Amino acid sequence: MHRRTLLILALVLLLPLAAEAQKPIKVGMPMPLSGPPALFGDPASKGAQMYVEEINAKGGVLGRKLELLVRDSKADANEAVRQARELILKDNVEFLVGTLTSAEGPAVSVVAKENKIVFIAPIPKTDQLTAPDKLHPYIFRVASNTTIEGRSAAEIVAKWPVTRVATMSFDYAYGQDVTKAFVEHLKKVKPGVEIVDQQWPKLGEQDYNPFINAQMAKKPEAIFSSIWGGFFVTYSKQAKALGVFDAIKYHFIGVGEAATPETTKSMGADYPVGIWGNSYDAFYWGETAAHKDYVARLSKYLKDEYPSSWAIQGYIGMQFLAEAIKKAESTDSDKVAKALLGLTVETPVGPLTIREKDHQANRGQLYGKTVKDAKYPFAIMKPVTYVDPTKFMD
Amino acid sequence: MPDFSFIFAQSISGLTAAMFLFLIAAGLSLIFGVLRVLNFAHGTFYMLGAYAAFQFMQWLGPGRGRFWLAALGAAAAIALLGGLVERFLFRHLYGAEELYQLLFTYALVLVLGDAAKMLWGTQQKSVSAPPELGGKALSLFGATIPYYNLFIILLGPVIALGFWLTLQRTRAGRFIRAAALDRETLGALGVNVDALYTWVFVLASFLGGLGGALISPMRATTPGMDTEIIVEAFVVVVIGGLGSFWGTFFGALIYGQVLSFGILFFPRFSIFAVFALMAAVLILRPWGLLGRPLK
Repeated sequence: MHRRTLLILALVLLLPLAAEAQKPIKVGMPMPLSGPPALFGDPASKGAQMYVEEINAKGGVLGRKLELLVRDSKADANEAVRQARELILKDNVEFLVGTLTSAEGPAVSVVAKENKIVFIAPIPKTDQLTAPDKLHPYIFRVASNTTIEGRSAAEIVAKWPVTRVATMSFDYAYGQDVTKAFVEHLKKVKPGVEIVDQQWPKLGEQDYNPFINAQMAKKPEAIFSSIWGGFFVTYSKQAKALGVFDAIKYHFIGVGEAATPETTKSMGADYPVGIWGNSYDAFYWGETAAHKDYVARLSKYLKDEYPSSWAIQGYIGMQFLAEAIKKAESTDSDKVAKALLGLTVETPVGPLTIREKDHQANRGQLYGKTVKDAKYPFAIMKPVTYVDPTKFMD
Repeated sequence: MPDFSFIFAQSISGLTAAMFLFLIAAGLSLIFGVLRVLNFAHGTFYMLGAYAAFQFMQWLGPGRGRFWLAALGAAAAIALLGGLVERFLFRHLYGAEELYQLLFTYALVLVLGDAAKMLWGTQQKSVSAPPELGGKALSLFGATIPYYNLFIILLGPVIALGFWLTLQRTRAGRFIRAAALDRETLGALGVNVDALYTWVFVLASFLGGLGGALISPMRATTPGMDTEIIVEAFVVVVIGGLGSFWGTFFGALIYGQVLSFGILFFPRFSIFAVFALMAAVLILRPWGLLGRPLK
């Protein structure tokens, strides 16, 4: 009798503790789910959700399940900040993984710093996010950045038999930064090169004809473009109609993910096949068994034969967080932040490491010349090469 | 000094942009002229026109002339939608304050925009130019003019003239002009003003939908293209004069050329030139270049 009372008492006392252990680890994700940027934000959030479901099926992290709370940031810095604050204060999330644009990322980073909460940015590329004056213990990036992307493109263009190079980029942070990185690195690796023209249409420009005419009047032999996403579809249609690609013999490189399967698929026969481009991922890459397996799972999860190349960024973001929690054996943000420094994770695109000095992962991208392939009704990059940025990140 | 072929190429691209904008702005101006409502949702009809063209292309499958069928089908579908919106929703707001009408058209932008996203998703869609015009270009004075752009440049004046003749020479056109001046008197004379308004809405939506369908071979069809175009169309009608038919036409021409040549003088601020022009017009001639001052 006495022993039974004691047992019940012990159970009652321990129950809350057990329940505590079973409470999910909440992760907040502000991500654009409406407007044009939803094109990337939506699949990225689904990639993150797929990772969460996979790890929960295996028992979660430290015996607790992960729970992802996705909020529409509308690609607006103020909205992303509001959502991040609400996620922290009202929903009690313990970590933030998210944001897409180079305006949202740095804004949410400030919120993470104030609240001392680990924040992993899977997509924003601006160098500003992890620049020395903006860096703090809680911000980490698993996206590529403008230095990596500009320099990767410069390495490729340096091998072309051209000297007169022109650039076409939107006039805002991302366009300016990536173009600057490209031009500086190109001049370094190939000093004979001349930048004959630089056009700066406004972000979201719909009519590129005047810019294309002005650029072609300077007779460039190669063009670097960072017109991204759906805007690249508009730009390249108009450039193709004006004969730009033929005039420069397809010495054209489109960063800002101009060669994603999504873009080549949506354009079909209108895609300027023969240009170079990049992408975070490509379902046809199939470099490793791990990647093939990831694509198969994603294809099933998204119910899409040719799954999105953006899901990987959400997936990797969550993967880094989960691995860091495991390594720290705690969900305390200070401990997890320390665990992230120098952490190497086996991602579906190979091992990635977050550098201690600037909290930046050595995330490169896939690059290749686009060709028609009988296997698919759209162009693919072939051969497709992962450009590892480790050697030119500084 | 840039050479002649470059200047010629710039003026042609300005002209193409102008004729597209005219297609869109004409509907906006017509609705304002007759109904005295600034229809923000006009840009949405343009976007839906592009999506509808994409959809019809999918349904029609490969075959000759399918682009033209799809474009007309899209314009007709959007015209029908415009008619339904006027008949069942808009009509209840004619007596209301202008602010409510404006809010209502803005609500339409949001609702229809989300509906489009549910139907077609967030992925960009792309429509190919018809094979008769796509991939071919005319070389003139050293400038490259794609056949499709040439078609648009020719179509603009044809639509403008047809539209103008309808307004000037037909019975329906006379009623529309009369309704713009004094709807009560027209009603008192036994004309069914309600039906007339519906038809004006149908016609304006047809032009918006057609504009969207015709632009789809030159641009990506994405969510958000609705709000981009409405700003441009608005600038055009403000410069030309709200409700003025030829004002819209010349407003579009000016807009296109200023944008094209603006990048010569302000390489990074070409859009600035357009808004500076609009500001100047608003200060010096608030009713627009060819508009009539409101009494």
